[in-house]
Amino acid sequence: MDTTPSTSQVQVKFVTHEAEIAVNPAPILVPSNLKRFGLSQVVNHLLSPTSPIPFDFVIDGSFLRTSLDSYIADNGLTSESIITLEYVRAAVPPKYLSSF
Amino acid sequence: DATPSQPSTVVSLRTREEARQLWQQHESSTRTLSASLCEHLRLILAPTQATKMRGDFRTGKRLNMRRILPYIASDYKKDKIWLRRAKPSKRQYHVILAVDDSKSMAEGSCSDLALETVALVAKALSSLEVGSIAVVSFGESIDVVHPFDKPFTSDSGVEAFQRFSFSQTKTDVRWMVEKSLTLFETARNNAVGSQAELWQLEIVISDGVCEDHDTVRRLVRKAMEQRVMLVFVIVDSVRKDSILKLESVKFGADGQIKMERYLDTFPFGYYLVVKDVRELPTVLAGALRQWFAESVDAGGV
Ligand SMILES: [Mg+2]
Repeated sequence: MDTTPSTSQVQVKFVTHEAEIAVNPAPILVPSNLKRFGLSQVVNHLLSPTSPIPFDFVIDGSFLRTSLDSYIADNGLTSESIITLEYVRAAVPPKYLSSF
Repeated sequence: DATPSQPSTVVSLRTREEARQLWQQHESSTRTLSASLCEHLRLILAPTQATKMRGDFRTGKRLNMRRILPYIASDYKKDKIWLRRAKPSKRQYHVILAVDDSKSMAEGSCSDLALETVALVAKALSSLEVGSIAVVSFGESIDVVHPFDKPFTSDSGVEAFQRFSFSQTKTDVRWMVEKSLTLFETARNNAVGSQAELWQLEIVISDGVCEDHDTVRRLVRKAMEQRVMLVFVIVDSVRKDSILKLESVKFGADGQIKMERYLDTFPFGYYLVVKDVRELPTVLAGALRQWFAESVDAGGV
């Protein structure tokens, strides 16, 4: 088959402990090849803050460091399930800290 | 002792007894609904109305205007000037009931609802006795759970229930439509009688979440060309959050994020969102009635 595969999608729920940056927790479909940066863009799109906030994502207690695809494959999940992503403001990178 | 031949590779997920109990439970819980759906369908599918007026008769319902002048010219001898309603012709139906066996069907609540829907629709169609019915399950793979060439009985229901797991890890709607079109084609080639009176219909039961909408849309168009009607029933109550509100995020070529309502790109023209299995008879009947009306308008009859 010579058809170009369209991007796979997966349903995610964005949740956070910080009420002031909370978005609607209903599931939405996102491309499953997204990593932290893409997901952060999506949450920023939903929040539309005055200036972009970089976010980190926690699934099942650990930070997402791969694409959703890889996470799903590595953890025996499937794209049939809704994935709950907890987001937190990304920690300030250490290089800035050292300049103080 | 010779090596016994391998049993069929089909995995039974429930024992026969479990499946029998489930089927009986759902068959009886949906009995009234099923009878109601069957009656709706009987009115829609049965060719109760003759479609055309035909001539030439000595008595009839309407004058055939083209016969009037010859009638007078013949000194009222050529008197077959009346039209009558043609006898309704016997239609034949092939119906595929395609049931989503993917894991998402059991994610929100219980797969009971899906099984209930299967019992309801399969029972209604089989008691209608207007044609053959096939049942397929789809997910990562597509399986014919009940073939066209066998009558659908309670035993078929039990067998079908043995085969549904609602645990398949993909929802390949595209492959399901392709395979269904092949099944319809084979059935059409094996059918006796006029092809013009053969109606092929597929009812899909699913939570509605599937990928590759563009490819599926092309297949839906192909189905229309082959005069196969597809009705997609979204059983929304299997989800905690309604599919009506589901949004989809796309990244444009420029990296811009675009949000769209998931159902806005849904590839099936005829889809129904059912919140409760009790709505199914009326809603499904409504969709089929609309399809028939449109087919008649388009000269499909
Ligand atoms: Mg699914």
